[in-house]
Amino acid sequence: MIIRHQDKIRSPEEIRKNFEKLGYICSDSIATAVYLACQLQKPILVEGPPGVGKTELAKKTSEYLSSPLIRMQCYEGLDEAKALYEWKYGKQLLYTQLLKDQLGDVMRGAKGLDESVERLHQFGDIFYSEEFLETRPLLQALREPEGAILLIDEIDKADQEFEAFLLELLSDYQVSIPEIGTVKATSRPIVILTSNNTRELGDALKRRCLHLYIPFPDPKLEQKIIASQVPDMGEALRKQVVEFVKQLRQMALKKVPAVSESIDWARALLLLNVENLDRDWIESTLNLLLKFQEDIEVVEPELNQLLQKMRQAGASGP
Amino acid sequence: MQQVIGDFIHSLRHHGLPVSPAETLDALHAVKLIGFENPDQLKSALGMTLAKNLPHRLQLEELFDQFFQLNTESPDASEESLSQPPTDTTDDTDGLKNDSEIHRDLEHSEITSPLGQMLLNDDQTAIQVTIAGNGQAAGASEMKLFTQKAQVSYRILQQMGDRELTRELSELADDAQNAELIEDIKQRRQRLLEQIKDYVEQQYLLFSEKSGQNLREFNLQKVKLTNVDHSHMHQMHRLVQKAAKQLASMHSRRRKVTKRGLLDVRKTIAANAAYDGFLFHTKWKSTRIERPKVMVLCDVSGSVSRVARFLLLFLYSLQDVLPRVRSFVFASNLGEVTDEFSRLDIEDALAHIMDEWANRPTDYGCALEDFKQLAMSDIDNKTTVIMLGDARNNNSDGKNHIWSEVYRRSQRVIWLNPESRYSWDSGDSIMKEYAPYCSVIEPCNSLRDLSRILGSLLKNS
Repeated sequence: MIIRHQDKIRSPEEIRKNFEKLGYICSDSIATAVYLACQLQKPILVEGPPGVGKTELAKKTSEYLSSPLIRMQCYEGLDEAKALYEWKYGKQLLYTQLLKDQLGDVMRGAKGLDESVERLHQFGDIFYSEEFLETRPLLQALREPEGAILLIDEIDKADQEFEAFLLELLSDYQVSIPEIGTVKATSRPIVILTSNNTRELGDALKRRCLHLYIPFPDPKLEQKIIASQVPDMGEALRKQVVEFVKQLRQMALKKVPAVSESIDWARALLLLNVENLDRDWIESTLNLLLKFQEDIEVVEPELNQLLQKMRQAGASGP
Repeated sequence: MQQVIGDFIHSLRHHGLPVSPAETLDALHAVKLIGFENPDQLKSALGMTLAKNLPHRLQLEELFDQFFQLNTESPDASEESLSQPPTDTTDDTDGLKNDSEIHRDLEHSEITSPLGQMLLNDDQTAIQVTIAGNGQAAGASEMKLFTQKAQVSYRILQQMGDRELTRELSELADDAQNAELIEDIKQRRQRLLEQIKDYVEQQYLLFSEKSGQNLREFNLQKVKLTNVDHSHMHQMHRLVQKAAKQLASMHSRRRKVTKRGLLDVRKTIAANAAYDGFLFHTKWKSTRIERPKVMVLCDVSGSVSRVARFLLLFLYSLQDVLPRVRSFVFASNLGEVTDEFSRLDIEDALAHIMDEWANRPTDYGCALEDFKQLAMSDIDNKTTVIMLGDARNNNSDGKNHIWSEVYRRSQRVIWLNPESRYSWDSGDSIMKEYAPYCSVIEPCNSLRDLSRILGSLLKNS
């Protein structure tokens, strides 16, 4: 990866501050991970509950380093043809049809089968050349002249075979295409893999990556995040929002609200002109935070208690 | 720097974190970039490069605190001076120092042994260094079991010259004038003992506790399931899950290979009609993957219940590759407990089942009647039936004709008996009545047996 502004990645603090300017509030460990990934040219494997900003990290990194973001979404059954390259079959077919006559000319006068084959060989593998190669995200990232940010999203959804296939790419930044040979990265991309931990990833893959776990942010950090995303919101309400969400995260729910949900909720509350969180407002907007009816049913009877706890924390907290 | 990081990684490995050499190199590169100035950054840099999942990460952070905090506490002493927490001891040694100065003036010449001199001089740094130095020689970092702690402490004390000191003290004791001095030195020696104990304890915690645990895990695999006591139950559960995961990943991979079958000519031609009959896209006849249908009957009376616990735990940990397990438990009556497992998590379900069904006299005949009612019609030629029981039937009718029907209808019948072969058919065991109607009969009483038998079950499916 060619980084045009080396001073941008001088230290983790620098990265953290600048990310903040871009509206991505991150913890020290995230900044350290990005710093190390740039300096050591190693992929980062990001894990954490959904909605804590794993994909966003890649987007912001690409914005910050002003290099293109190439994204590959993984799913079950993803294979090389969709991730790396494919031959343009249609084009190949069309060309063979068009070149039929030419072939006739070439072959004219050849004596016997051996000589014909001999002549054909002289033309080399025109149909398996760059012209007919359809690049897919991985190859594209390797060929980007100034490097790129390659986001391999939700790697845990892909099959184990695909994971193994990625190993060559991640350690040597090269891939082998049988018909062409080994393609080496012109400039090493920064690779960010994300995983939701639906299955345990292989040790070989993990070994090649820096491992970054993004947990739910602590209340202070979350307040900062909401402040940057929803700047018009008053501080008192913001505190209440963060505190309430924190209480919810401690309950046994099917899906606990993530950062993205608390941002959505904050936006909604702002839109509704809510000044102070009370039972009615929470009840009517709870579906923004909780995405399962069962969860809502669990939380509703506890609301009074949650509110009380929230107020206590608000009074004693920072 | 390399030495410190190396030591740190060494202690990580002792605690069971699988740190590879490649990761060690990464960590060194990262540390070179980050430096030692900011401990938080250092911690997260080491965490990112060395620990690759959350439990390991937490463990690493804990160890990091332990390791580096201890190292900084006595920075001027050698690296090994990990012990000696002691704000309180320094306080009272200060007090004693004044006393000792008096003693030193008066009777310094009386004590000639090096250890005695050291104690009298009360030079804490020197003492620490000596403890650490002798500690290495005494094998403090190679302890495997906690029972070795006392031995290592004793060895350290001996190497520091305790024998000479005691001899000297007994010589001095002849003279009544020296009573005060002797008392003083004895007290100091006592304190030294404490320090050595602390040091050994810490070395044990840093380096050895985990390898002791590995040893225990290894032994637990072989131990008879009926003998596993309660304190090990939890650990066994973890082991079972580990073994199950291994099996599952092994077999899910194998399945994939068989997915692609023969070329489906008809479909291929149809799919490529658009390309003027050129066969670009190949279509394959996929082989249907039969996941085995498993029914498991567990005797939960008396001694068998322990093994049943583990069998069920194992089976349900295998759900990735064995999604269709129906389980039945019986003592006298038999009932289906499949639902319990889907409703509760495994351990709760097990506890619940054991409460409800166990502790009743065994009656295989009655249980088989119930099984016939419940599930006989669902057994087909793809079903594997696993019976876990000792076939001790309290001298009543075993109704083996039902079992023969099960054998006829199913693909396979596996009988697992927790008793060893020699005790079959002794007493009230009626193993021989059922034996003709089983495809496989195996004694099964350790985690290894379980893992082997279930592995073969998956292989043949």
